[in-house]
Amino acid sequence: MSAELLLRADDVSYSQGQRLILDRVSFELRRTQITTIIGPNGAGKSTLANIVNGLIDNYSGVVERSPGLRIGYLPQKVYVNTLMPLSVERLLRLTRQSSDAQIEQALAQSEVGYLRYRQVRSLSEGELKRVLLARTTLGKPDLIVLDEPTAGVDVSGEIRMYQLIGELRDQLQCAVLLVSHDLHLVMSQTDQVLCLNQHLCCSGLPESVSRHPEYLALFGQQAAQSIAVYAHHHDHEHDVSGALEPHPHD
Amino acid sequence: MIELLDDFVLRASLAGLIMVVIAAPMGCLMVWQRLAFLSDTLGHAAVLGVGVGLLLQVQPIFGVLAVALVIVFSLSRVGNFDSALSETTLAIISHTGLAGGIILVGILPGPGVNLEAILFGDLLATSKSDLLSLLLTTSLLVVLLLRNWRAFVAVSVSREIAQAEGVEVRRVQLLMYVMIALLVAVMMKVMGVLLIAAMLVIPTSSARLFSRSPEQMVLISGFYGLAALAGGMASSFHFDWQTGPAIVLSATLLLLLTLVVARFVRPRLD
Repeated sequence: MSAELLLRADDVSYSQGQRLILDRVSFELRRTQITTIIGPNGAGKSTLANIVNGLIDNYSGVVERSPGLRIGYLPQKVYVNTLMPLSVERLLRLTRQSSDAQIEQALAQSEVGYLRYRQVRSLSEGELKRVLLARTTLGKPDLIVLDEPTAGVDVSGEIRMYQLIGELRDQLQCAVLLVSHDLHLVMSQTDQVLCLNQHLCCSGLPESVSRHPEYLALFGQQAAQSIAVYAHHHDHEHDVSGALEPHPHD
Repeated sequence: MIELLDDFVLRASLAGLIMVVIAAPMGCLMVWQRLAFLSDTLGHAAVLGVGVGLLLQVQPIFGVLAVALVIVFSLSRVGNFDSALSETTLAIISHTGLAGGIILVGILPGPGVNLEAILFGDLLATSKSDLLSLLLTTSLLVVLLLRNWRAFVAVSVSREIAQAEGVEVRRVQLLMYVMIALLVAVMMKVMGVLLIAAMLVIPTSSARLFSRSPEQMVLISGFYGLAALAGGMASSFHFDWQTGPAIVLSATLLLLLTLVVARFVRPRLD
């Protein structure tokens, strides 16, 4: 764990009225690491993402951010108004000034340079997600928070999206916090998994989390199946590519 | 120069013009944020405001503004904007306000008011003081629009993104609601409470078909509003129709024509 520490959460709890949503969660986010939060519906995944990006500030516990930390955020449900005439370029410039070159680079990184002058209302859901991903990379973030970035994207698009997120991490040398419901798809890209169900059930490398009894209890049969699927993919990948690439902090 | 305003046609034209100028940007914002129904609600509840104004023996416009502001602030107190602005909630407020207003206006002693003028507007009866209050309110709204335009557009595109990037969404939305309340209060005189929403929505819908940017849509809405105003006033004189409804019908006719034209020469918007 030598990479630069960007954010440390210590015993973070959050309640909404009587309902406890997060119970003493602690973790660290480090530069160039991809951290994935998994957990069942209502586990507090989005809440945790919103505490990290600063949208929720009435939590208890401590969140330390490295000074001047820049965060790019892609919300889970982005309702982009289709009644509004708006070009992709304008969408990228919505709340901040960016040069033409920055816009071009951000779109190119997310492989949607050709969409620059298109109207947002004519984009498919997958295209929109990528444009929004490009948007989060403007302003050179140190940390990108992505809340279910593949919701509404088909499976092949989903796999490509996760590859893209890995590439963005390499290009921008930033940390990524990813909220996801499908561990087996994100596994190969992930450095750290936070398995959340109000409290942090378990955390660590994807392989160890997927064997953790609390993880299995939480996801039950379905999880066992998806791990089986994953293991299959995994084996297959090894057959083709030969050697296993070690994780950077192994 | 000022004697020119003695001509009622000129006063009416000026009032209409000012209304168009402010209805274009406000209408666009309301369509983008799906707030058209809120303007309709405030319009209906304005009848109650007229009654309250009579009761307190102040100008009706202040009663209308007071009622609209009470509604807007109550809505903003509810934790969740979406549930506060649900069709059901708005319909209840809208029709309770209308019914209460009609009863209140009816039972109050005194000369009584011309209910028809409240409901459908009376552009041709625009007085100099109406013109002044319209001008002052519109100037205030234009200043607020210019100062907050970037935030308004950002919130219209996506509340989530705007909030995540430092726009104070709740403040911006509350400001927007207060501005709608102001708008309804001054437009009542010109368009009538039942037709305010039409002037905010119909020209905007025409403009949407040909616009490629938010600002372009505002500009084109303005031209559609202007054409509807001219057409409405002309037909009102020519056929002796009521002016407000004639303006609304002109706007709808223009929308239909635009839809037909758009079918054949629709520019590539993608």
